[in-house]
Amino acid sequence: MNEAIIYDAVRTPRGKGKKSGALNEVPPVQLASKVLKAIEKRNNINTSDVDDVVLGCVHPTNEQGADIARTAVLEAKWDQTVSGVQVDRFCASGLEAVNIAAGQVMSGQADMSVGGGVESMSRVPMGSSGGAWMTDPTVAYNAYFVPQGISADLLATKYGYSRTDVDSYAVDSQKRADNAWKENRFKKSIISVEDQNQLTILDKDEYMRPNTTMQSLASLDPSFAHIGKNHGFDDVAILKYPEIESIDHVHHAGNSSGIVDGAAAVLIGNKEIGNKYELKPRAKIRSFASIGSEPTIMLTGPADSAEKALKKAKMEASDIDLFEMNEAFAAVVLRFMEAINIDHSKVNVNGGAIALGHPLGATGAIILGTVLDELERRNLSTGLITLCVGAGMGTATIIERM
Amino acid sequence: MKLDNIRLDIDKSGICNLILDTKSSEINVFNESVINDFIKATEFILNNSEIIGIIISSAKESFHDGYDLNYLYSLKFPKDIFETIYRLSKTLRRLETSGKTIVSAISGYTNLGGLELILHSHYKISDNSKNTKIIISNVKYDFCPNIGGTQRLPRLIGISETLDLLLKDEIISPKEALEKKLINKITEKTKLISECKKYIIDNKESLHPWDQKQNISPFSSKNLNYFISKIAMLHAENSDLYHSVKILISCIFEGLNTDINSGLKIEARHFTWLLNNKHNSSMIKTLKFGKPDKSFDKNEIESIKKSFEKNYAAEGVKLLIDGISPSLIENAGKRIGFLNGPLASADKIELQSIISELDSKDAPVAALIRSMQKSDRNGYSKRKGFYNYEKDKKLKIWNGLEELIPSSKKQPKVSEIEKRLLFSCINNILFNYSKLSKLKNKIFYDYISIKEIGLPAWTGGPFTWIKNYDVKNFIKENAEYAKTLGSRFIINENILKEI
Repeated sequence: MNEAIIYDAVRTPRGKGKKSGALNEVPPVQLASKVLKAIEKRNNINTSDVDDVVLGCVHPTNEQGADIARTAVLEAKWDQTVSGVQVDRFCASGLEAVNIAAGQVMSGQADMSVGGGVESMSRVPMGSSGGAWMTDPTVAYNAYFVPQGISADLLATKYGYSRTDVDSYAVDSQKRADNAWKENRFKKSIISVEDQNQLTILDKDEYMRPNTTMQSLASLDPSFAHIGKNHGFDDVAILKYPEIESIDHVHHAGNSSGIVDGAAAVLIGNKEIGNKYELKPRAKIRSFASIGSEPTIMLTGPADSAEKALKKAKMEASDIDLFEMNEAFAAVVLRFMEAINIDHSKVNVNGGAIALGHPLGATGAIILGTVLDELERRNLSTGLITLCVGAGMGTATIIERM
Repeated sequence: MKLDNIRLDIDKSGICNLILDTKSSEINVFNESVINDFIKATEFILNNSEIIGIIISSAKESFHDGYDLNYLYSLKFPKDIFETIYRLSKTLRRLETSGKTIVSAISGYTNLGGLELILHSHYKISDNSKNTKIIISNVKYDFCPNIGGTQRLPRLIGISETLDLLLKDEIISPKEALEKKLINKITEKTKLISECKKYIIDNKESLHPWDQKQNISPFSSKNLNYFISKIAMLHAENSDLYHSVKILISCIFEGLNTDINSGLKIEARHFTWLLNNKHNSSMIKTLKFGKPDKSFDKNEIESIKKSFEKNYAAEGVKLLIDGISPSLIENAGKRIGFLNGPLASADKIELQSIISELDSKDAPVAALIRSMQKSDRNGYSKRKGFYNYEKDKKLKIWNGLEELIPSSKKQPKVSEIEKRLLFSCINNILFNYSKLSKLKNKIFYDYISIKEIGLPAWTGGPFTWIKNYDVKNFIKENAEYAKTLGSRFIINENILKEI
């Protein structure tokens, strides 16, 4: 099997995912084509050597529809021989795209591929693509569908994470992200989003609230208490988890991932193609895995997928230097750390989606770049990236510096 | 053309009054003979170019009663059910798309099946007599619409309005029907047919909104959030016990995402499944055919009801003594169809009253109740029991309970708790069958168990439930329970004879 080598990873800054957000004026296909152009320019590659561009996107509809990966390839003016494919594994789409690109290289079916993702949540809002999972009564009944926020609160209730626990975690995420920006730790990956006149639209993550405190979070109302109590979802969750008397709604806007716009791309190739362009191998993909888990609590998949990927790599959790576990909701990370027994000091050391935001289709590729940059900065070796995934799944990837 | 159940009265202007008059029946229904006649009449009307419009009316005091249930139940195989249901549905569809205007002349009572018949007509006129009303019985305990109702109602009045209409018992007067847009006009009884004719003369061609080119499905992204939460609410409210509800909302979703022709097929397929579902069908049988034809002794029933409530609550407390967690007990009760869990019910009837249900084996239960009473926690009237209460509102389970009676580390599956609760409830009702002096009739008792005593309707009553569960297994599994749990699980000779 060939080694899948990571040669580069870039991302846009994350703009607030609303009309007043800086990236709202930039169509998603432009965000995606900008990261592709950056990959081309930074590595000085002839794009006709790229076999495929795999991009995650969770709501492939309207301007994100009709295979945004191929559309972005054309818009980036890459060689017309470069194919593009859009993939959706909900929140792990960006990581799944990297895994697919890596798989193409490992199997020898591609010399060089790009994995990445894009989501303009301000222009194509969450839920835009509908889906049988929640709207088809037969399916929703059988799956005991509840919205993800209810699952997060269910998970917090079941495993005993209090409002204080999740809020403390959130404050820490903000502090870490603020510190990372102050020390310019994201500089290797981040590209400035510019307009057609090379005027800067956004060059820094926009969502952060570094002044967040326990007191400021305490004033926020739980986001999912109303729909949980008044729209039947708490009761459906309890139908599935009858050991629970009532759901403790602990999550709110301040301890859940932010709604943002953004895109990312990771360049993956074999050794030969790296030699051809004199690219420096930064890390190799040791293993990757996706897994299904119980869909109503929905968010326990990261530990399962991490263990699956560790087993494939013949490693233990203690062999991993740094973890990136997407901060979809604070309780999900708390549960992940508890389930695989790792210390918070190794996890999301530069903050996560609570502070920086979670552009659904792109996040997996973004946090892979984040952990790679940080491994290099700290001169450490191994990183594990994982995300919880809608409908009860998890995806994980293990990288090792070269 | 010889028809037994329908008269066709064609006037000089070419208007055909299709008069429903089911033979040898006081009310109009759909049975095999009526459906055959209806199809023949439709063929005749559609092939006769002189007929410019159709009035659907009734020769009887009432308008229509929908399907004859005995006929529906005589259909045994899915293929027969589907073909029968869909044949009638398709015929109504042919009529409404023929280009000829159809007007319903509604006089007298009609049920949901009759309403479905009315809905295919382009205009609906009702008289204003006292006896004219639409009687809807909650689809939860009945069959869901099956000759186009799940498709035409939401297209006509909206999705939420349809669910609101069909998921409760309701008697709708002509005035209310007009407000709900189920009919278009109200007139004097004497003018009913002439008004219908007038409408046809004025409107020679009619198309339903759903057959117009610009037809927009009521399924827009606007009401999708409503719909997603409605699924959850119905699921939570009915657990997985009441299939008609799930079928209704599925028909609406699947059918309204396409055109009405496919929608009618979708509806017929779902209905076929529903009619063929043993549990659902037997529940409806009990509720439709089980109503006692004579009055019963209210005191007898009241005493059976009291015993039932006490037993349900006591079983909950006994589970607690066995180390089961309160949440699991309470949720198990709700999952088998009770509004409240056993412990909430215990609070309601007062803890003291449970003591009379206990035998010598249950000393720990009595001890628990006494120690709760010592802390002044006798139940709802004290606003303190297994739960805490604030005014009338039930709050959380009392947190001191865990100290008083800790739950075991390892908890069983909820299905095991559900089964024990249900066995205990069924047994209690069975034991009291002998208490009846007048109504010794199993289907009556099934009916009373649901309507008066409080057994959840989905069971179809104790006798029906046991038959569906399997009598042999019921006896065997009770014997297993009896070994450890006591006499309430011993099925005596008298009961054995009955089941």
